[in-house]
Amino acid sequence: MASSIEVRELTKYYGSLLAVDHISFEVEAGEVFGFLGPNGAGKTTTMRMLTNLTRPNEGSATILGMDTVRDSLAVKAAVGIVPEASNVFFELTTLANLTFTGALYGLPRKRITQRAEELIELFDLVPHRDRKSMELSLGLRRRLTIAMSIMHEPKVVFLDEPTSGLDVESARLIRDIVGALRKNGVTVFITTHNMEEANQLCERIAVINHGRLVAVDTPERLKQAAAEAQAVEVAFSRELSGDEEEKLSKMACVGEVRRLGDKYHLIVSDPPCVLRALYPFINEHGLEPIAINTYGPSLEDVFVKLVGKEKEPA
Amino acid sequence: MTETAVKTRRPPLWEGLRKAWAISGKDMKIYYFQPAVLIFGLVFPIAIFFAFLMGRDVQAVNLFPGLIALTLFFSTTTVAPFSVPWEKMNRTFERLLFAPVSMFDAVLGKVVSAFLFGLVISLVPLAIGLIFFGSRISNYPVLILALLLGNLCLATMGMLISTVNADTPPKVMMVLNVVRLPLMFVSGIFLALPTLPTYGRVLAWFSPVSYAADLLYKGMGFQSYFGVLISSLMLVAFTAVMFLWSIMRMSAWNK
Ligand SMILES: Nc1ncnc2c1ncn2[C@@H]1O[C@H](COP(=O)(O)OP(=O)(O)OP(=O)(O)O)[C@@H](O)[C@H]1O
Ligand SMILES: [Mg+2]
Repeated sequence: MASSIEVRELTKYYGSLLAVDHISFEVEAGEVFGFLGPNGAGKTTTMRMLTNLTRPNEGSATILGMDTVRDSLAVKAAVGIVPEASNVFFELTTLANLTFTGALYGLPRKRITQRAEELIELFDLVPHRDRKSMELSLGLRRRLTIAMSIMHEPKVVFLDEPTSGLDVESARLIRDIVGALRKNGVTVFITTHNMEEANQLCERIAVINHGRLVAVDTPERLKQAAAEAQAVEVAFSRELSGDEEEKLSKMACVGEVRRLGDKYHLIVSDPPCVLRALYPFINEHGLEPIAINTYGPSLEDVFVKLVGKEKEPA
Repeated sequence: MTETAVKTRRPPLWEGLRKAWAISGKDMKIYYFQPAVLIFGLVFPIAIFFAFLMGRDVQAVNLFPGLIALTLFFSTTTVAPFSVPWEKMNRTFERLLFAPVSMFDAVLGKVVSAFLFGLVISLVPLAIGLIFFGSRISNYPVLILALLLGNLCLATMGMLISTVNADTPPKVMMVLNVVRLPLMFVSGIFLALPTLPTYGRVLAWFSPVSYAADLLYKGMGFQSYFGVLISSLMLVAFTAVMFLWSIMRMSAWNK
């Protein structure tokens, strides 16, 4: 099947600020596509242009073959939108928020009630069905926002940082729902700065920084690109002295040492080599290792690498 | 390149109207009973009227068309200038833009909720006048025309004012009152139009409220100043222009 989303040279200026700089990419039908980037990178602006909430200054995009500007009403009927901030109507109940949304999308009345109840069930909102949204917690509002976005069973869903600020439980529920959408063949475009989330959910990830795309690939291939950045993490039963820290960083095969809480993160390209050197070090200093872990390259490393080398133009 | 796009068929008119009506219904639920709306839309005009009535020895019955115009003016123009900035501030207004709702339907929905609010509230002084002060309706069709066109036109005016670039409801309310208070004096509310000084009569032509008041006077047994036809046409013209202008302003929002 053809692409669900096609973006060509999309560009947005805010005054003289170039927020999104001639980006192009395609998202296949049924794909979960991650849009990853630091604050201010242009993620939200891109999403808003794709849903015609903001006009691009240059370039164009199509969704399911329809131009986002020319066919904007048809595009809107086909997509679901979860904005960065949960914009539910505070004065309306959970149910009323859903039914109003259904009416805005022109669903038949019977279908509205049926679908609303279905989503209340799916999103674990049954006890909150008749509470006004102003009484709901952040996580519940987030769930309601997402439920509202799929009220009309869209073919493509845009989620702007769906899990940011949520507890583990709510975040997982939302990830499960994204998984379910994918199973149903829905194309999902998801922005995040949560690397792990992107890794778990997305089939492909685009990394954006300062409005420019710096990479578009699968999580695994992106990680390979940063293969030299593997890590061994070690925690000792006591604090290391400055001298010992110094020695640790000079140990064979260790590239760089980062202290993370009570752990030492050794950036290496050859983990076994470090492990061999680590045991003599431990014996020599009478240390007791309470945890040793080795890590493959994380998306975080990839991210730091890709985004780090694209320093702000001087 | 295969152009598989389903050609975008314009949705039928009634589908848009259904969406507009959903927006109106939501506004009624949320905004009709907001304190700010009730104070500016109901208490305020009635207080002004009685303050005015008190100090003068005019027969109250002569003032009722003016009172109704005043109430209608204040109640109808209050709803959108409260709800639109409130929804922009909470970003719930964007909900209307997420959905396949044309700006025409969104504006229509907002206007209709204000229209119905004004319509119901303007019946209050009318009833008071009829029951307690000996007002009478001499021309039902003209009175009904006055209430319908007047409320519609002023609801649209409220809508247009609600699109000013101000980020909070209080700021928009302030702009609203800056526009409303002067209009109150050149629109035949306290003084019938023929008794206004010359400059007042000239300014009256530019105030949609004048035409609503004029039709009300006519419907309640007084002389019309502009004539029913001109007043009606002017209300329709003001409505159309302000409606289109509102759509333009709303479409440009946040782009
Ligand atoms: N309405 C606006 N007016 C002016 N500048 C804006 C506007 N919206 C965004 N920007 C600027 O455009 C750039 C991109 O912003 P955007 O919100 O798209 O970033 P983001 O990647 O979503 O960031 P975050 O992770 O913080 O949500 C930023 O520099 C931002 O300050
Ligand atoms: Mg953002």
